[in-house]
Amino acid sequence: MAAFTYAPAIVLLPFVSFLVALFLGDRMPKGGALAGIAATGGSLALSIWVALTVAGGGVYNEFVYTWVAGIESVTLRFGLLLDPLSALMLLIVTLISFLVHIFSLGYMNDEDETGLPRYYAGLGLFTASMLGFVVANNLLMAFMFFELVGLCSYLLIGFWFREDGPPSAAKKAFLVTRFGDYFFLIGVVGVVATFGTGLFAPITEGGEVVAQSFPVLAEHAVVDGETAGIAMLDTVGLGPQAWFTVLGLLVLGGVIGKSAQFPLHTWLPDAMEGPTPVSALIHAATMVAAGVYLVARMYGFYAISPTALAVIALVGGFTALFAATMGLVKQEIKQVLAYSTISQYGYMMLALGSGGYIAAVFHLTTHAVFKALLFLGAGSVIIAMHHNENMWDMGGLKDKMPVTYYAFLSGSLALAGILPFAGFWSKDEVLYEALIHGLGSEGGLATSYIVAYAMGLLAVFFTGFYTFRMVFLTFHGEPRTDTARDPHGVRWNVKGPLAVLGVLAATVGFINMKPVAELTGAHIDFLHAWLEGPEEGGWPAALVTDSHHYGELLHDVAGVSAGEPLGSIGTLLASAAVSLALAVAGAGLATTLYRGPDPVEHTDKLGSLKTLFMHNYYQDEYQVWLATGLTYPLARVMDKFDQGVVDGVVNGVSSVSLFSGQRIRRIQSGVVSNYATLLTLGLVLLLAAFGIIGGWF
Amino acid sequence: MVTQVAPLQMAALPGWTALAPVLALAVTALVLLLVDSIDPDTTDTSLLAGISVVGSLVSLALAVWFVVGGTGIPTGQGGQGTPVLFNGQLVVDQLALFFMVIVGSVTALVTLASYDYVREHSYQAEYYSLVLLAATGMSLLSATNSLASAFVALELVSLPSYALVAFLKKNKGSVEAALKYFLIGAVSSAVFAYGISLVYAATGVLRFDAVATAIESGVLQTVVDGSVQAQAGEPAVTMSILGVGILMVIGGVAFKTAAVPFHFWAPEAYEGAPAPISGFLSSASKAAGFVLAFRVFATAFPIQALIADGGALNWVVAFQILAIATMFIGNFAAATQETVKRMLAYSSVGHAGYVLIGLAALSSSGEGLAFSLSAGMAHLLVYGFMNTGAFLFIALAEYWGVGRRFEDYNGLGREAPLACAAMTIFLFSLAGLPIGGGFFSKFYLFSATMNVGAWSLAAALVINSALSLFYYSRVVKAMWIEEPDGEDRVESYPTGLYTAVVAAAVATVLLVPGFDYVSSVAFRAATLL
Repeated sequence: MAAFTYAPAIVLLPFVSFLVALFLGDRMPKGGALAGIAATGGSLALSIWVALTVAGGGVYNEFVYTWVAGIESVTLRFGLLLDPLSALMLLIVTLISFLVHIFSLGYMNDEDETGLPRYYAGLGLFTASMLGFVVANNLLMAFMFFELVGLCSYLLIGFWFREDGPPSAAKKAFLVTRFGDYFFLIGVVGVVATFGTGLFAPITEGGEVVAQSFPVLAEHAVVDGETAGIAMLDTVGLGPQAWFTVLGLLVLGGVIGKSAQFPLHTWLPDAMEGPTPVSALIHAATMVAAGVYLVARMYGFYAISPTALAVIALVGGFTALFAATMGLVKQEIKQVLAYSTISQYGYMMLALGSGGYIAAVFHLTTHAVFKALLFLGAGSVIIAMHHNENMWDMGGLKDKMPVTYYAFLSGSLALAGILPFAGFWSKDEVLYEALIHGLGSEGGLATSYIVAYAMGLLAVFFTGFYTFRMVFLTFHGEPRTDTARDPHGVRWNVKGPLAVLGVLAATVGFINMKPVAELTGAHIDFLHAWLEGPEEGGWPAALVTDSHHYGELLHDVAGVSAGEPLGSIGTLLASAAVSLALAVAGAGLATTLYRGPDPVEHTDKLGSLKTLFMHNYYQDEYQVWLATGLTYPLARVMDKFDQGVVDGVVNGVSSVSLFSGQRIRRIQSGVVSNYATLLTLGLVLLLAAFGIIGGWF
Repeated sequence: MVTQVAPLQMAALPGWTALAPVLALAVTALVLLLVDSIDPDTTDTSLLAGISVVGSLVSLALAVWFVVGGTGIPTGQGGQGTPVLFNGQLVVDQLALFFMVIVGSVTALVTLASYDYVREHSYQAEYYSLVLLAATGMSLLSATNSLASAFVALELVSLPSYALVAFLKKNKGSVEAALKYFLIGAVSSAVFAYGISLVYAATGVLRFDAVATAIESGVLQTVVDGSVQAQAGEPAVTMSILGVGILMVIGGVAFKTAAVPFHFWAPEAYEGAPAPISGFLSSASKAAGFVLAFRVFATAFPIQALIADGGALNWVVAFQILAIATMFIGNFAAATQETVKRMLAYSSVGHAGYVLIGLAALSSSGEGLAFSLSAGMAHLLVYGFMNTGAFLFIALAEYWGVGRRFEDYNGLGREAPLACAAMTIFLFSLAGLPIGGGFFSKFYLFSATMNVGAWSLAAALVINSALSLFYYSRVVKAMWIEEPDGEDRVESYPTGLYTAVVAAAVATVLLVPGFDYVSSVAFRAATLL
């Protein structure tokens, strides 16, 4: 498979562009942008080739580099896993990154920003890190690139480091995600210590498994009771399923941090301080997507743990609703988008938790497209508004910038989940999966799913509302400021990416129109087929990462089963109708409230709820209190202990040493007869001691 | 164990040629005396230093050649056999050759450095011949296989040393130090000689292998025509007399190695002596003391037989006490010194404590000797370069007229960066940082203590190493970080001293990659005892 031979270049090309922009960017036209565009374009082409090869039934899972060879222990290696999931993700990441690079020409170069080589170097490394993460075939490698992604987000969010906000936002993003990553790191160590491998999928040679993967080992341990080889279980004293749940939740810590799920979502709205193309990249394709992708990547491991699934579903459902309410009252366009991102990733988590593996991947795909579109559209608006982001200062931009408007509208319809735009199909499938599994499962799992579903459903309404509030405030009505009356124009490099994404946002949902497929019986749920693979043999037999196998695990091990009280088609249509109705209702409410030439603020009607929403439920406040009120005093006590006791002992030792040194010095009196005396005395003492012990006298 | 007179395998060479490294030194000493008698007032330093350096290098080369060529390794193991000379009085095995290498290297460095140091003094020929005679004694001491020849060789080391310490005749400190050295030396020699007589009284023999036979069989022995046999009537060995004798022999070697409580001479002698001689005494002379100790206690007083007899002296315990006391007293006193040379003198005492681990890190049944001995040997070899180098740097400072205290070294790094870099290597290597071989030799010693679970020794080693880093760093800090007080002190760069200092530094650094080889040679030598 020639495509796989060149696959490492997908990661390496952006890395080279990083080096080029960093070291030669000053001497290049456009400050290294062209290198980045060429590199991501090349990566995109290679990704398409890889995807075509995968579509032809080819998969690849090999180690490419050993960086620590273990002797009778774990060997640490880099390797590539190219299956339908990673091939799809490669396409998304390279496409978005390519478009963001082009857009940056308009957003950064045309605006005469300084420090462009640093900017393009950051973009290159960011893309390369994310791509490395996507193709990683083992957990440790994934962790390393996950951390690199975090580092790059820090560098790019803090790009305008001379201002007050960006450095602080960058630090916050770095620290909050790092908090989650601590758990992830422990989880990585735990997984490798437990299974002796971090492989996501088994490596086979000629049909024989030469290196087993940890999800499969875990499955064998839980399903077949093959726990003999897992020494760690005796160490921790837990049953296999309980211990694997612990490991899964530890890894989930990193996911919650990176994918901005409650309660570690607080970094994401602040991250809007970074350049807008970077926000698009962070929210659509890299960084935030990394968390959800990780869960999908090792889904076989989660599928055997109902507890972990319930936690994921609840966190996702709650985050979807929670973030949507905060988006209702924001005044800055990017803030609204930020909360919508948190909310949408909540949906993906909800889908993963409630057994909708395909739904989650579907929503990840559509969201990547329409969220990149919305951010780039917002970027276009921000250029036009001379970097004023307050929606109340805008209005009436529809006529001045039609391309931006229609593209943005397409993305908004997708985000709100209006038929037939992309978001409708995927969000509907997410909610459908949560609903049927909530109805069909038993016990606590069912309750969790129903609760999570209810929250997700309610969030649909809010999503429709805040999305159209944003659209109306920004583009409709009369211009409310001079800037809005005479906006700055944008060039092809802004319009081009918007047009591409605008079309995609309207159409990408067609890859998996499940209701239509069910109704007509036509096999047009392509994503389903893509992730499920052939029924017999093929790549699912080799890699065990197919959705069919996940479905079996969910059903047999975790007890996730579907219930369809209205029959299969009836339930499907009812679910779709309810979510569409709610979305339309939300959008309609926004229309009635904010339509017209001079919309007024209605948020005050929310009363004290508005204050709560505006302050983001005081999440920042309590987290700051955790740091200053709890951690800081604790650190002070530790410092006192260190200064007083530890240093005290050290200082005491040195004083005692010097003091006794002085004493020992005095033995050397300079009088030779003293020396002779001491010498003889010493010898006599030794003689006496040994004589008494040996009984010589 | 060398109990049989092995046939000499060195091709067609007569047996005495195995002593060539010793003889080279002796002949050089005589040539120097000859030059002196032809021209008694010669001040041709180049000629005298040249002869000395060439003589010691020849000795070194011969010793290295013998080590590599396999002298001292039984023919059965692919070696050339072990030459045993003069009815078993001398034996040239790998242990002897290993220490001949140390003596040869240190002597070469010291005589090279002395070229500049004694240039202005009279009696240079005497100086060089005394150095070479002492070196002859040290080399000979490595090869002695009997308490009698050991005593003679030891005195051959001591007597020239006294005179060398007093070489700066017009310097009160030098003369006073020599007198103290001599007096303590006399007391120690008396103790040693008395110890030898008691061992002889208890066992009836002086040859190491014969003493061992007596202890193992519990019967007095005698040597007839070179072979050991029990005395008529089979009188029993009196263990208490033997024990007192052994303890006094320990006293004798403790004096030579400057171990507590026989160390009192060392700080003063090292401080008062010309700096190259301080380096010579603290490196080569100490090594010679240790080779005697290693050989006597490994071959003549077999520890397993002594432990088996409850009433006999368990010398491992004695060495453990001495090692810990020496480490602590040497290092703690070094930490509070005000002058650099005296600090180095005390640190040299501390290092004697480290090397004593070679005889102290044995299990309670007396096992692990080869491991610990080889660790001690390897440390002595590394120490031979790094400590000599440090003292030679002091000689350089004295040559420039830099003061004696730590503050006087302030800012010296800017005026003489090369020499100061070398000094930094010496000091950090002495402290046990992995910049020179000192790290590995100390680690080897540490492993030896771990090997037998001697926690107290390990703790003492670690604590004192940490403390030593403090006082060694003071010099480094003064040289590189502190501001100089203004005046330019470095007017010239003496060739001989510089060459010697740099050579020692290069050797110290090269012992990092080369340590593996050194330790394997040392281990082989210790195993063959």
